[in-house]
Amino acid sequence: MMRAMTLRAPTQTRTWLLITLSILLVVLVLFMEELKPLFEWVFPDLRSPLYDRESFLQLTLDHLLLVLVSSIISVSVGVGAGLFVTRRNGREFEPLVSSLAAIGQTFPPAAVLAIVVPLAGFGFIPTIVALTLYGLLPVVQNTIAGLGTVPATTLEAARGTGMSRTQVLLRVELPLAMRVIIAGVRVSVIINIGTATIGSTVGAQSLGTPIIAGLVGNNIAYVIQGAVLVGLLAIVTDLFFERLERRFSVGG
Amino acid sequence: MIELQGLTKTYAGKDVVKDVSLRIESGEFGVLIGPSGCGKSTTLRMINRLIPLTQGRIFLGEEDVTELPAEQLRRRIGYAIQSTGLFPHWTVAENIAVVPGLLKWDKSRTSQRVDELLNLFHLDAGEFRDKYPHQLSGGQAQRVGVARALAADPEVLLMDEPFGAVDPLTRDVLQNEMLRVHQQTGKTIVFVTHDMDEALKLASRIAILNAGRLVQYDRPIELLTQPADDFVRSFIGKADLGLKLLSRRWVHQYQQPARVLEHPASFDNDAASAAYGWEVDAQGRALCLHGGRLHADENEQRTQVTHEWTATPDMTMKEALSRMVWFRVMVLPVLDDKERLVGEVAMQGVMGHEPSKQQALGQE
Amino acid sequence: MLSTQASNGRTRPLVANRVLLTLVIAAAIAAALLSFVAMAPNRLVSGESINLIVALRPWQWIILILLALLLASCALTRPFSSPSSHYLTLIAAPLWLILVLYGLGDYANRALQEASPSARVSQGAAFWILVFCPTLMILDAFQRLQTNLGLRGLYTLILVAVVAALFVTGHLDGLAIMHEYANNRDQFADEFIAHLRLVASALGPALVIGLPLGLLAHRRAGTRGALFGVLNFFQTIPSIALFALLVAPLAALSEALPLLRELGIKGIGATPAIIALVMYALLPIVRNTYAGFDGVAATTLEAARGMGMTSAQILWRVEIPLALPVILAGLRIVTVQAIGLTVVAALIGAGGLGAFIFQGLGQYAIDLVLLGAIPTIALAVVADFLLQILVALSRPPGAR
Repeated sequence: MMRAMTLRAPTQTRTWLLITLSILLVVLVLFMEELKPLFEWVFPDLRSPLYDRESFLQLTLDHLLLVLVSSIISVSVGVGAGLFVTRRNGREFEPLVSSLAAIGQTFPPAAVLAIVVPLAGFGFIPTIVALTLYGLLPVVQNTIAGLGTVPATTLEAARGTGMSRTQVLLRVELPLAMRVIIAGVRVSVIINIGTATIGSTVGAQSLGTPIIAGLVGNNIAYVIQGAVLVGLLAIVTDLFFERLERRFSVGG
Repeated sequence: MIELQGLTKTYAGKDVVKDVSLRIESGEFGVLIGPSGCGKSTTLRMINRLIPLTQGRIFLGEEDVTELPAEQLRRRIGYAIQSTGLFPHWTVAENIAVVPGLLKWDKSRTSQRVDELLNLFHLDAGEFRDKYPHQLSGGQAQRVGVARALAADPEVLLMDEPFGAVDPLTRDVLQNEMLRVHQQTGKTIVFVTHDMDEALKLASRIAILNAGRLVQYDRPIELLTQPADDFVRSFIGKADLGLKLLSRRWVHQYQQPARVLEHPASFDNDAASAAYGWEVDAQGRALCLHGGRLHADENEQRTQVTHEWTATPDMTMKEALSRMVWFRVMVLPVLDDKERLVGEVAMQGVMGHEPSKQQALGQE
Repeated sequence: MLSTQASNGRTRPLVANRVLLTLVIAAAIAAALLSFVAMAPNRLVSGESINLIVALRPWQWIILILLALLLASCALTRPFSSPSSHYLTLIAAPLWLILVLYGLGDYANRALQEASPSARVSQGAAFWILVFCPTLMILDAFQRLQTNLGLRGLYTLILVAVVAALFVTGHLDGLAIMHEYANNRDQFADEFIAHLRLVASALGPALVIGLPLGLLAHRRAGTRGALFGVLNFFQTIPSIALFALLVAPLAALSEALPLLRELGIKGIGATPAIIALVMYALLPIVRNTYAGFDGVAATTLEAARGMGMTSAQILWRVEIPLALPVILAGLRIVTVQAIGLTVVAALIGAGGLGAFIFQGLGQYAIDLVLLGAIPTIALAVVADFLLQILVALSRPPGAR
């Protein structure tokens, strides 16, 4: 909802931006090694100007795996919960779930990640748990909000034409709420890409690993390599979701 | 007095208002009317320069105000709009005090003026001063809007379809109130509407615009009796032209002396005759009508005078006729403000007698 | 749904508040299955799990069970009816919460008496759930009673005061997290202040830049697309990447210009952190400023102009007061966001509470991690609550 107004730039420019940046991302992931002379030239003092403990392709895949697994869980649980609390049986839980989602999002993602460690240990699993928990909140919130924007008259008209509850949900409510729900997924995924980066501090390998290694070892080249890739990844993902949102926007 | 000379507005090479000149004398109630897109609102908004003029001059009294800084000009002109535009974060009193505040009136004078205006609109100052706009009904908010426009005693009051968004019942009440306020304050008013009945009810002069041009500028009665062209004729509406005409005629113009019965008990209504007469009490109040029904075969010989089927001298003939039809009588008692019978107005009178032009215009 | 057949044949639901019942059951299951505390011989090894029944004294868990039964009965249609059951919940739930905290401290103190000085008592999953559930019960009761913000604030204040009293009196000193606090007392105060200072020094410039930009976006429609595009771009870049990317150019600048170095502007430290925080803060501020101005009704503005207000008078007396709640809502988003992002800034040496988190993660010292994480969360929640009150206060009394 709140991102709607960022959509004003000409569609074509954005499409080209998406294509260009995607290609740039893929090329950098695959051929970062080829840029070694460039980094050597810029940082002549560094002994090893290219992060080589792991390939950038592997780091990117690890990062994507973290985000993908957690996002799939958060979206399915989040949309499910949003649906449950907007049906007749679950409506009682709606105020509590809504305020929980709102309060939960005031928790800093990095702190949530940290607080999961004592409960789930170090590594891949706690990062997934933290990303999933945090990613749930915008999805739940936007699912409730999106379904809430469907006008009561539309629902009444749908029921009036003799649709069953399931038909009303699948053919009227979800299509009308889809843009807002996708906006929630977009927020969730973008936050998760960022938090997965910090995941490298709790032992989950990701594109954050070279950044942390660089910061710890005072190697700015490592920092730049990780940061550029993860920044590009986030922006490409955001542009992609923007397109997706636009495709699902009804009547506009 | 306000005078517009050759007012023109051009948007993107197209004239939305073209060479409009008219003069509204002091104390007159001028109405701008026309179909949507005719430029009536644009003309009004050029007067206080919410829309800059392309060409033309505006005079307030004898003063040419065309070059006056817009803000200064606007503080001398009251402005009321359809959705009231009340400031939601200020109380009624603060809203009314805006222009006095801009003109730096002192506190006690402003506060006194606020109470005065609330009283003028029959809003209890104690109750309404500290209310916020959202606590008001549509009619109350509109009254406050007009009161705000009048706050600094402006030379002219501009009103842009002020009663367009209220329900018909409230609109009628507000129109009557506007007539009363106009009479009490003697303000020069420029009023925009698209509703001919509203225009006929309120205006002392009506300007009809079409496609940005002034088509006719006349008193209502002349507009009805001598429309300038086919456009005006069709815009007024042919179907109920006669009734519209009656809406500009008043009972006192048609009023005849009442036929009071000396001996009501001996009144004998012959079903075939159209004879009738009034029975009055010692104070001269009308009690009942003997005979005088629309249909001779109606059983009832005596009709009790009730509040609903009486007329007053300042009632329009349209309403008087409407009452006759509704209550199935041929004649209405005309009562003064103490409910004494001062005359009668009969259906034949409406059909037969045409008040002289002079008499009709005299009322305007 | 559970229901009983009433004598008159009409079905009457047995459960009046399924939310409350769900929470009571969830708490009971957690208490039965998960560990309440963990006892470790030193700070670096993970401890032995201890159950609620074992950890608490009998009178404590008996009261806990009684409170749970009382709360469960509040969830039913009988014996308590609608408003009184909610008030009862508002009394029983905080008692439960405080008793859980008290019991934890009590256990820690007892356990440490007979253990070595390096032994650690940490709270387990069941503890968190037993604190979380009553909090949600309180929230739910308030929502059902539809009480106003003021009353909720007062209640929260009293509850926080009681919990704070447990800390201040030293009853919880046996806990590992309090040990960490005791060991880092001075540094904690420093980092806490550093955290607040970072947030504040980012919000100032963000407001100074963002408010005029928001106004610009409102006044000039042509600027909107590019402006929001660029700001969204900033917002999208993961925090650590943006922090890190600012390190390199700032290091180079500081190298090249001694003047900057003298001003304390370096590649590592507060400067890149503040710049990044400002960049993140701009989008919500600009967006909400724009939305606030956009929300002022066109007719209100027309009336203001028609009465002869100047543009400046309209801005200050009409537009800003009416847009203020929305602008402050933006400030609320930004403040909470900045408190969170500042955690990450510790990675580039800017300090703040994040320092404990990453220090703890580096040393595998979980309780040190919590010493950073829990105050950060508390800070964010408190800031959110306070700004929520500010937003409510800024709403003009007349505005709907």
